Amino acid sequence: MADPIDSALDLLRRLNPKDVKQNVDHIIELNPSLEEDLLESVDIPLSVKKCSQTKRDFLCCDYNRDGDSWRSPWSNNFEPPIEEGVTPSERIRKMEIKANEAFDVYRELYFEGGISSVYLWDMDDGFAGCVLLKKAVKGGSWDSIHVFDAQDRARTAHYKLTSTVILSLGTESDALGSLDLSGNMVRQVEQDMAVEDDGSHVVNIGKMVEDMELKMRNLLQEVYFGKAKDVVGDLRSIPPLSQTNRDRQTQREMISSMNR
Amino acid sequence: MSRTSALSAFVESAPPGELGDVTKAIKNILGDDAVTHELAPAFEKYNEEQFSLVKLPGSNAEVIVSAYNSLGDGRYYDTESATSFAYDHTAGVGSDARSYTVESENKELLNALVKSLRSHGSEHYPAYHIGAYPTTSDTQIALLTVASKYSPANYWNGRWRSSYLFTPSASTLTGTIAVDVHYYEDGNVRLLTKKEVNTKVGGRGGAADVVKAIAQAERAYQEDLNKAFGGLAEGAFKSLRRQLPITRQKIEWEKISGYRLGQDIGGGRR
Repeated sequence: MADPIDSALDLLRRLNPKDVKQNVDHIIELNPSLEEDLLESVDIPLSVKKCSQTKRDFLCCDYNRDGDSWRSPWSNNFEPPIEEGVTPSERIRKMEIKANEAFDVYRELYFEGGISSVYLWDMDDGFAGCVLLKKAVKGGSWDSIHVFDAQDRARTAHYKLTSTVILSLGTESDALGSLDLSGNMVRQVEQDMAVEDDGSHVVNIGKMVEDMELKMRNLLQEVYFGKAKDVVGDLRSIPPLSQTNRDRQTQREMISSMNR
Repeated sequence: MSRTSALSAFVESAPPGELGDVTKAIKNILGDDAVTHELAPAFEKYNEEQFSLVKLPGSNAEVIVSAYNSLGDGRYYDTESATSFAYDHTAGVGSDARSYTVESENKELLNALVKSLRSHGSEHYPAYHIGAYPTTSDTQIALLTVASKYSPANYWNGRWRSSYLFTPSASTLTGTIAVDVHYYEDGNVRLLTKKEVNTKVGGRGGAADVVKAIAQAERAYQEDLNKAFGGLAEGAFKSLRRQLPITRQKIEWEKISGYRLGQDIGGGRR
């Protein structure tokens, strides 16, 4: 029998992706031993909190959470405040500030709105982090969750990036009825890149995330508007099939007569 | 939410052709094979709503299971072959076939509708099944079409369902068209649509007129659906994230601190 966590992930890959948060909660109720693994490996749409010090919105995930509080990347304080919440070392926090500034520019250039947050944390042989982006418009929302770690080597670092994009689109009208096209896609990449100083890390991560999002955006476009539409066309044909079959037959006859 | 209702919600949300996978995952998460008994009502609901197919006992023909051809006590009937059968919703197996004659004031119309609906189906659905059953105390006729295509090796499955109620006395046709597509290679993407149809049947309200109205509604819907894909791609999708910044160049990350918001960015955007 398969491992229950594999079955839980398989189930979540099949059920309506729109209900992922609720489905995760239900699976945990049914089998509480899966809680930690599920919360770690399943991405759900990001929630938003306001930083009371800077009045700026920031994004929440498992990586900036301590109990029921979330750390703001803008002030380094927890919302709501807690005693001795876990914060990064001074060196990593400095890099985190730089990364947040850089991805704020990235967010404006690509999303022209929305919210970004970057969180970094210390590791034994380097550091790890996540880059979060979220935007909602009428008829849709986009959540990017990029989780990475960077292992320091001599003059280079080895980066491992796992990216999830959650894209929900929907429309409703009298003529069309209701249409919901929602889901998520996940991709991974590993790369060695040159490192001079901590500034290089921000540059390297920036490039990796930018390349990954470009790739994923193209992939989402293909799946959402190409594949989904093609499958509908496979289920039902607008032109009569007898016509299509006759055309194919004529085509075959032409080809075979040319080969003669 | 109770355990049973959480599990039933999982079953209800199973994508086309994946009920078996969903059930297997549920058993494994709970470590309990006997859970299928608890899920029996959910399976019944799923099968009737999704127009699940069952092989007629002693035949190769597959027929629809729905609320419209239910005889109660787990038995259903097929109009065309004039057969009734028992259906085990958990195992997905039919048994105990008996001859069954449909009683209806509209028997002739019903038989003609089966023929017309079938010929319409064969013109537009590469793989389909239909059903026609008298309903609502014999004042209406339910007309069902289900077309599924499964390609698990390529990580996609899809289903088109349409169900209509034709009222002969008023020549009206009401119903729903629903499309469900699942794509799950390195992700999980789902298309779910629903469209209400409400139309008047032209001509004398004969079988050909009814199916003509259905054909028109379905064609118009598929065309609207194709347009909607284009609209979402050009609309919401584009306004969520650009493919490249307005400068059409990737970011120069080495110089990122030199980008000034509102100026370098977007070159003076509105």
